[in-house]
Amino acid sequence: MKDEIIAKTTAYLQQEILQQPNRTIATDEALISSGLIDSFSLVDVALFVEENFDVVIDDTELNAETFDTLEELADLIIERQG
Amino acid sequence: MSLINILILIVSALLLRFAFPGKLRRWALLVVSTLAIFWLQPALPIRNMDFWFPLATLGLILLSWALTADGDQLKQKRNWLAVALTLAVVLIIALTRFISFEGLITATRPPQIHQIIIALVVFISAAYLLTRYANPTETALSLGILALLLIFLVLKTPILSLYSSMGLRRLMAQDPALAQSTDLGWLGFSYVAFRLIHTLIDRMMGRLKDIQLDEYLVYTIFFPAFIAGPLDRLQRFRKDLDSPTPLTAQEVLAAGKRLAIGLFRKFILADSLAIIAISASNTSQVNSAGWLWLMLFAYSFQLFFDFAGYTDIAIGAGLFLGFTLPENFNRPYRQPSLSLFWNNWHMTLTQWFRGYYFNPVTRGLRRDGKLSAPMTILFTQISTMLIIGLWHGVTRSYLVWGAWHGLGLFIHNRWSAFSSPKVAAVTQSKPWLGNLFQVSGILFTFLFVSLGWIWFSMPTVGLGWQTFTRLFGLGG
Repeated sequence: MKDEIIAKTTAYLQQEILQQPNRTIATDEALISSGLIDSFSLVDVALFVEENFDVVIDDTELNAETFDTLEELADLIIERQG
Repeated sequence: MSLINILILIVSALLLRFAFPGKLRRWALLVVSTLAIFWLQPALPIRNMDFWFPLATLGLILLSWALTADGDQLKQKRNWLAVALTLAVVLIIALTRFISFEGLITATRPPQIHQIIIALVVFISAAYLLTRYANPTETALSLGILALLLIFLVLKTPILSLYSSMGLRRLMAQDPALAQSTDLGWLGFSYVAFRLIHTLIDRMMGRLKDIQLDEYLVYTIFFPAFIAGPLDRLQRFRKDLDSPTPLTAQEVLAAGKRLAIGLFRKFILADSLAIIAISASNTSQVNSAGWLWLMLFAYSFQLFFDFAGYTDIAIGAGLFLGFTLPENFNRPYRQPSLSLFWNNWHMTLTQWFRGYYFNPVTRGLRRDGKLSAPMTILFTQISTMLIIGLWHGVTRSYLVWGAWHGLGLFIHNRWSAFSSPKVAAVTQSKPWLGNLFQVSGILFTFLFVSLGWIWFSMPTVGLGWQTFTRLFGLGG
């Protein structure tokens, strides 16, 4: 379940956000605090999560404190799906 | 705020923590914070405003709370206790009028008692009626937000402040002809308003459960963060209020270290840099562009050390009281891009604007899908930065500063979308190039931000532009 979420999100980030299909993203790599995903793309990520996993990440939660890595994002999705 | 004031506040924080452990802490915090907002408010040219502004701060908090509450909350004793305690403190301050002809706690002698009682009765009955008869509906909460924004606009727009000052002077039997737009120095209002607006929006969106008046008051006027933030969220603040971090020797040491760093940054570094930092009065005193650059960089660092120093002091004093306040700065001048600079400069304010403006607007536009991604970015980045500019003051200079950063962020975003894949491909085989890009990014970002501060430090756009051109050896 978690692996599936991570795989799907990784593919989305590589193709749509970073536009570097070959870029590897470690599951513990900082995405937001490192600037890899900027504030604008973060909203797109929230919409992607909403559409694909039926989980809402609120506007006030879109920051590195809520999640900063793929692992943390997957955990958040699973927790909210539960 | 003077060094003495800050030291008194730090010592009060520590004493309060030791003297009032357990449940008494929140009530002690309420009393000390209420005293602090009256004590810190400087004297103003309009008579008695050093008393009326802090009282109005309390009144606004009470009315905002009434908007978020329903009739059931009137049955809770703790809300009445919060009113009684605050009222007692205000009355004690009012009575100092009879002890001293100058202000004891306030900067000048408090106004006449009957005037204060009338104001208190008005505030408390209005709040009672709102709580009793108005449910926290979307309309009621929106009106509250609108009212706060309106006061904000009046205080921050020079011409509106001038007219208000004339009105207040007439009311106080002072000469309206002497009114200035700077007369209305309502201490802490920007932060108070933004804390209140955050709670009103969150109540409207269902993100915030019932608020108790005591926690609302302590949250909004929490004395370490009253003047210069950080801008905390009630949901987070509440956790520390209910279960404070234990005060171990380690915590005291961490807090002490943070305070020492803050005092050093504010009173040694920032205040020394202030001597040579660029200002409207000293730009004309130098002829060479080189000196002007030096003065501009001094301003960049002065601003940072001053503000980050205040934040350190707030966080350190907060730790003494069992609160872990959010960070406001994270090495902003060592960031390789403008977007990262804004992730690390005045972080609690930028997060506020992201949460309540940038993200919802971007989300709406992206869902709607009518605007292309670049156009959406152009609109949201520029409008966000213009509003942040206006938060500092409704003047043309702050608008130019906002536009400078909004455009900068847009250009950076487009450049980054175009160049990132290429840069990634090149730096993979040559890591040293990656380091070079990193260092040049840091230098370029610092330069860009520093040039932006010109509009921040100069009172008019004309003077800003003149300074800007002189830095590049143009103009006179």
